[in-house]
Amino acid sequence: MLEFFTDPVLRAPTLGTMLMCFGAGLIGCLAFLQKRSLVGEALSHAAYPGVVLSILVSSLLFPFSEKGAALSILIGALLTSSLGLIVIHQMEKRLKISSDAALCFVLSLFFGVGVLFASRLQIIQPLWFQQIQLFLFGQAATMVDGHIILYGALALFVVAAILFLFRYLEILYFDRGFAKALGMRVGPIDLLTYFLLVVAVIVGMRSVGVVLMSAMLIAPPAAARQWTNRFGPFLALSSFFGLLSGFLGNLLSIYVPRWVGEPHLSLATGPMIVLVASSLCVASLLFSTQRGYCTRMARIAAFRLETASENLLKALYKKREGKKSWWLLKWLEWKGLVENSALTDLGVQEAEKLIRLHRLWEVYLVHMGQGVERVHASAEEMEHILTPEIEQELQALLDYPTVDPHEQPIPGGAR
Amino acid sequence: MGEVNSPAIEIKNLTVHYGKTPVLWEINCSIPRGILLGILGPNGAGKSTLLKTLLGQLKPIGGETLFFGEKLREKKKKIAYVPQRSSVDWDFPINVENVVLMGRYQKLGMLKWPKKADRQAVHAVLDRVGMLPFARRQISQLSGGQQQRVFIARALLQEADIYLMDEPFAGVDIATEKALIALFAELKKEGKTLCIVHHDLMTVRSYFDWILLLNSCLIDFGPVEEVFHEENLKRAYGSSAYLFTETKKLAQARSTGDE
Repeated sequence: MLEFFTDPVLRAPTLGTMLMCFGAGLIGCLAFLQKRSLVGEALSHAAYPGVVLSILVSSLLFPFSEKGAALSILIGALLTSSLGLIVIHQMEKRLKISSDAALCFVLSLFFGVGVLFASRLQIIQPLWFQQIQLFLFGQAATMVDGHIILYGALALFVVAAILFLFRYLEILYFDRGFAKALGMRVGPIDLLTYFLLVVAVIVGMRSVGVVLMSAMLIAPPAAARQWTNRFGPFLALSSFFGLLSGFLGNLLSIYVPRWVGEPHLSLATGPMIVLVASSLCVASLLFSTQRGYCTRMARIAAFRLETASENLLKALYKKREGKKSWWLLKWLEWKGLVENSALTDLGVQEAEKLIRLHRLWEVYLVHMGQGVERVHASAEEMEHILTPEIEQELQALLDYPTVDPHEQPIPGGAR
Repeated sequence: MGEVNSPAIEIKNLTVHYGKTPVLWEINCSIPRGILLGILGPNGAGKSTLLKTLLGQLKPIGGETLFFGEKLREKKKKIAYVPQRSSVDWDFPINVENVVLMGRYQKLGMLKWPKKADRQAVHAVLDRVGMLPFARRQISQLSGGQQQRVFIARALLQEADIYLMDEPFAGVDIATEKALIALFAELKKEGKTLCIVHHDLMTVRSYFDWILLLNSCLIDFGPVEEVFHEENLKRAYGSSAYLFTETKKLAQARSTGDE
């Protein structure tokens, strides 16, 4: 695996895309928090006509300079992407068009113009046309060491800017009014973050491409948000997810063809990176410790199991007849509450605790003015919910009752 | 020291426009130190605008404001602001402790990392508003009243002399409302000046000792017992005032090209 960092052919794409994805994951957080993730999509498409036009211009001015072309591509993309941003802002502010409509409008208009010019370029500069097609879907494999330096510098710039602005951003995105009241210069900070976003998009075009770039701005933050509730860790985790996607994307684009036994089949790196990032995002949505869908489902299942086994425990304690689920019995045995279909000492204690909670809750409900005949159903549910702390408070509030409203004793209730 | 006797806030001929429409019109008043001032008026009367203009967020087209006899720039650190709760992104990944810590940044500087003493100061103010057990809680998990307490704690940490609050009682539970009123009385006793935008006319008498009645123009300003009476309320809230508000809306629509 080390060869991805040492091999002269592999190292540029790997390190280059990793740095690019790192920066995108970091800057994507800001768009994500502003709930404007689609901006990345619009800006990357708006950069495309810049790429095409700059090639057109530079092919006329310096027909043989490849370095000049590479530089002019960056400048051209920066210009049209910024123009797209300005158009979006003006449409929202002055024309009062909703934000999603403005974004879609700029996305399709700019991209359309780009495609139009590209079709012209195809005829007059067929060689260059192939070059710019790279930017549509990206081509990491042909990157060279020069790209590492460029992307490294840009990633460093993004990190430095975010570190410098950290506190400002935290206050600004949480509470704009307060930020202004502190005398913060809101305008320049907004401008700088948008500039960073444009830079991240342009950097990403070469390796992931115009069409897929926005995924790298959205997926890492969306994944990171599932794991943390704090600003700093959120930024760190998102950029780490970006870095990881960049690496795994490169790795898989080489290894997957080998695994399936067709080593000569080459898989595009850009889409693979996007797939990895999206998988990380989906996995986080499903399995994150707090909000994950599967985690929540597992918690619900655990609670149901607990309720069912506690009900069985009570039935055993009261020596009720009836069918008893075999695997629930096994479960209670495994927990050491039951042995040979009889309760252990621990089992008796647990069952008495349940009955105590049940009857205590009934006393409480009657204390609160409920009718005696109506309290059983609620207690049947609450006996599984009440915590030791709540029990303590109930005991104190009700002055340590010894019988429930149905004149049955409350086990272990005395002081 | 000329500032010893100067009022907490002195507003002279303050006029604010949105476009060509006047929102605040020639406001003149001198708010003495150490009072609990309620800012009252119907919707759209310019109450929030007044606070934002005092804070320098909106530029007036005329008039000036002095704090303790000096310009805002000199006294910015002496003023704490509690915005409306609705102006905040409650989904933001941040916990209670770090929200309150924001009140410290003016003192701390934006680039320095908070030290132990700063954390302790945060815990002290959280304790004062009864929110210490929630210090590590994610902000979106709090109830409306709890969120408001966190905001007040942040303002307390700014160690200001003037507190400007935009509807702190909106959407909070009764327990919080009572706790806040007690806290405000304490602050007043410490010599702080509190200016609070308020909506509920029923509670005015028991909550505030001074009143500023606003409906674009300053209707009246002074101690509650002198200002809070039927005639003034009619001038601020009655049908004649309604006509004024409607005309203002129309003027705004015309000048922005909506009609």
